[in-house]
Amino acid sequence: MKNRLEEIRKEKGIKQEELATALEVSRQTIGSLENDRYNPSILLAFRIAKYFNMTIEDIFIYEEEEQ
Amino acid sequence: MKKKKNLLIALSGIVLILIGFYLIKAIADPQMIMKTLPYLCIGLGCGLFGDGLGEYISKKAIESDPKLAKQIEIDTKDERNIMIGNMAKAKGFDMMLYVYSALLLTFALMGISYTVIIPMVIAYLFVVGYSIYHRTKIEKSF
Repeated sequence: MKNRLEEIRKEKGIKQEELATALEVSRQTIGSLENDRYNPSILLAFRIAKYFNMTIEDIFIYEEEEQ
Repeated sequence: MKKKKNLLIALSGIVLILIGFYLIKAIADPQMIMKTLPYLCIGLGCGLFGDGLGEYISKKAIESDPKLAKQIEIDTKDERNIMIGNMAKAKGFDMMLYVYSALLLTFALMGISYTVIIPMVIAYLFVVGYSIYHRTKIEKSF
């Protein structure tokens, strides 16, 4: 699943470490999410969306062909 | 309280090591279980000492650095880290099944006594059964 996390994070001028601390996940998790190597749990996706005051769909892009 | 418990574990490890060395020195011609008991005491003592002292030192380090404590808590609870740990454990378990069955087959072909092979087969089946039991238990809980 693709996402716009890196783009949104940079827009807001937040460092990976700061985002990781705010979401209570490791910095590596943020890195993996941004590189599309890891799909977050629904809970983490909600936490990310809430942090940026956005909806999950604004950040994560669901692609039908993945299935 | 927990730190005291860790120190006690480390201390009991030292006591076991000392008992082990004493038994080696004191018994000139060991018979039966006394042939292995001292070495068992030393082995167990070393394990307890290392574990107790390691836990004590790590708790002491965490206590003096709240930032480090928070980071460790985050890393432990991190969902990606948990997933990676579980995947690695699953791979290790799969490999253990292959290695263990190969070892059992080798022992059987070598003509090793049934008193060794049968408990090993029981242990193997117990581990497989335990895995199946938890699979059905976890399936029911979701």
